[in-house]
Amino acid sequence: MQPIEAAGMLSCWEPGIFSLTIYGILILAFIVSQLFIAYWLGEKRKNPEKLRPYESGIIPTGTARLRYPVPFYLVAIFFLIFDVEAAFIFSWAIAYKALGWSGWLQISFFIIVLILGLVYIWNKGGLEWGPTAKEE
Amino acid sequence: MTIYSIIFYLLSVLILVTTALAITRRNMVHAVVYLIFSFFGSAMLFYLFGAPFLAVLEVIIYAGAIMVLFLFIVMMLKVDTGGERLFPLSQWLPAAVCGVLYLVLGIGIVVSDPNSHDALKTARAEPGAFGQYIFQNHWLSIEIISLLLLVAVIGALLLARRSKRPSAQEIPEGE
Repeated sequence: MQPIEAAGMLSCWEPGIFSLTIYGILILAFIVSQLFIAYWLGEKRKNPEKLRPYESGIIPTGTARLRYPVPFYLVAIFFLIFDVEAAFIFSWAIAYKALGWSGWLQISFFIIVLILGLVYIWNKGGLEWGPTAKEE
Repeated sequence: MTIYSIIFYLLSVLILVTTALAITRRNMVHAVVYLIFSFFGSAMLFYLFGAPFLAVLEVIIYAGAIMVLFLFIVMMLKVDTGGERLFPLSQWLPAAVCGVLYLVLGIGIVVSDPNSHDALKTARAEPGAFGQYIFQNHWLSIEIISLLLLVAVIGALLLARRSKRPSAQEIPEGE
């Protein structure tokens, strides 16, 4: 963190802002062009079969507003936790050269603890799904 | 008024509008989507202030993982969102009182502080320097965080197991 001496500007990331803006505009233009081409060239003859929600080729039954089973939520929680761990690994990875072997040891311990958690939930069947989960 | 000030005000308006939309939507899924836009705006604000790594983390963790969690909570709890009021009227009064109190206190702090009119010094936090800083000065905290997250993983698994057990009584006690 070093203070910047420049009046009248908020940030020192001028080139970054510029390229990010260009990139964002290009991505937006690409998305809009794809959507427009699909809309323009696409066939628009509607019938009830076509307008039915697509559910992997199976005719949908019942209402869509059902309670989601708990395992989905569990996976979301695991995703959140491992995502936070990934954030620390990113912050190590962008400075790994400067941190050297001590940083390597620290992040190794961190990753080993992370893998222990993964092994634990794997063994306990936290990642089991569908019919295999019921056998347990 | 530089280009950065213009970007700043645009982003502020974007964040305020999307947050206001998020807290007023009846449909919870729409509210979550607006909140994602609000987080993207905050990320761009961080980037503008010279903290690109924080911006990336904001997108990865808040707009990514936490919003997925919110979405699942909405889908698990709200089976049918009718036109009913989200909170009963008796809960609106304390909420309004707290909101007005915050507003008054915030304005009071800004007005009473003599330094509130000075522009803040801009600073640069390079991603590499940030990583180096936390791993050199706070590596012990990071190891403790890893243990904390391990406990969180195990706790989440146990809680989900416990909530599942009453529905399936034939399962023997298998730890």
